[in-house]
Amino acid sequence: MRYVVVVADMKVGKKEDSIVTYALGSCLGLTVYDPVAQVGGMLHAMLPLSKINPQKAKANPFMFVDTGVPKLFKEVYRMGGQKARLVVKAAGCGQPLGKNEMFKIGDRNYTILKKLLWKNGILLNAKDIGGTGGRTVYFDLSTGRTIISSKGLESEL
Amino acid sequence: MKQTKLLNILAKVKSFPSMPEAAAKLLKLLDNPDATAAQIEQILRYDAGLTANLLKLTNSVYFGLPCKVGSVTQAVVLLGWKKLIQLVMASCVNAVMGKPVPGYDLPAGELWRHSIAVSVAAEGLAKELKVSASEEIFTAALLHDVGKLVLGGFVKEDLEKIETEASRGISFEVAEHMVLGTDHTEVGAQILKNWSFPPALVNAVRWHHDPDSAGKTDTLVDIVHVANILCLMIGIGVGREGLCYKPSPLATKRLGLRTNDLEMVASWTLQYVDDLCDVFGS
Repeated sequence: MRYVVVVADMKVGKKEDSIVTYALGSCLGLTVYDPVAQVGGMLHAMLPLSKINPQKAKANPFMFVDTGVPKLFKEVYRMGGQKARLVVKAAGCGQPLGKNEMFKIGDRNYTILKKLLWKNGILLNAKDIGGTGGRTVYFDLSTGRTIISSKGLESEL
Repeated sequence: MKQTKLLNILAKVKSFPSMPEAAAKLLKLLDNPDATAAQIEQILRYDAGLTANLLKLTNSVYFGLPCKVGSVTQAVVLLGWKKLIQLVMASCVNAVMGKPVPGYDLPAGELWRHSIAVSVAAEGLAKELKVSASEEIFTAALLHDVGKLVLGGFVKEDLEKIETEASRGISFEVAEHMVLGTDHTEVGAQILKNWSFPPALVNAVRWHHDPDSAGKTDTLVDIVHVANILCLMIGIGVGREGLCYKPSPLATKRLGLRTNDLEMVASWTLQYVDDLCDVFGS
């Protein structure tokens, strides 16, 4: 199966599946993979903290980093993933030009992610974060390969 | 060389499709304080497709009307005719805005989705900030990027040069201007002028990336400016140029915008965009 993760969305899959998310701007794209069980998942979260709109967070936890990330890990565990084996990669969190703090939603998304991972003793294995480029992330669940496409160029994360 | 390019672009602007007749007539009514629902109905009577789309749009969750609307008259009563005319505009430009856009690498439907998103976010910002902005905000936001439809092909041809300029940390539309002699905001404003759109709308399209240069400050321009960047940030209509645009600190100050407002509006926008896009089956 080929799954597409839209904005404020999450998908999990197993070997032979692939997951893609298009057009990450300041949103966080997070992939989690267990290479032994060959299961994994991808989250595309839009905003850092759910307290801004608890009603929305209840209806769709994947909109926010603080509610979406734990859900992603839980789903991967449910599929047979084990914490000690997980490979975690982050992409996105871009920002527009200039120094306007208000528009640094990407920065704030990444900060909340780092806090959550640190609290839970999970390492971030790779990241492609920040800048003005939009990013598309392809995630192959047979191999765990994560390919980022940005400004017409592809690179492996 | 640049001069030839500019002439080619201007020729393309001239041959850009004109506004559908019904829309042009309705737009004229906007300036007429004595316009009536009957006049609107009269114009729409001859365009069944447009009327059907209009009613679908009116009944979408976004407008939250208490009952199902079955006629133009009823829609006028519930939404007000100025709002209704904005929706007619949306129905009219749906087909042309749904096309794929080269240069910016937007697949079919993505510019339309972005445009709808900026309309929703702009109205959301106006509400959240409690600023009075005209009914035209929906249409101004909807059409802010119309220039990309003409400029896209030219951007594609000179993408390398434009990207080299932009990589020096300048805004993408500034890089467009340096290489092509114009940018998508100027081109868009010209299209709207050719369509005889009201000056406030032309202005909002022209200055949506540079609200501080708009002659006199205008809440409509400031709001479209912020809503556009917000929608790019949340990934709706992010093209090849990504987030290579610069939010104006002065515009956010003029609006009294706070981080919370921005995130709050973002959190509501997504759902309404999906609702409204469903209306047109995209």
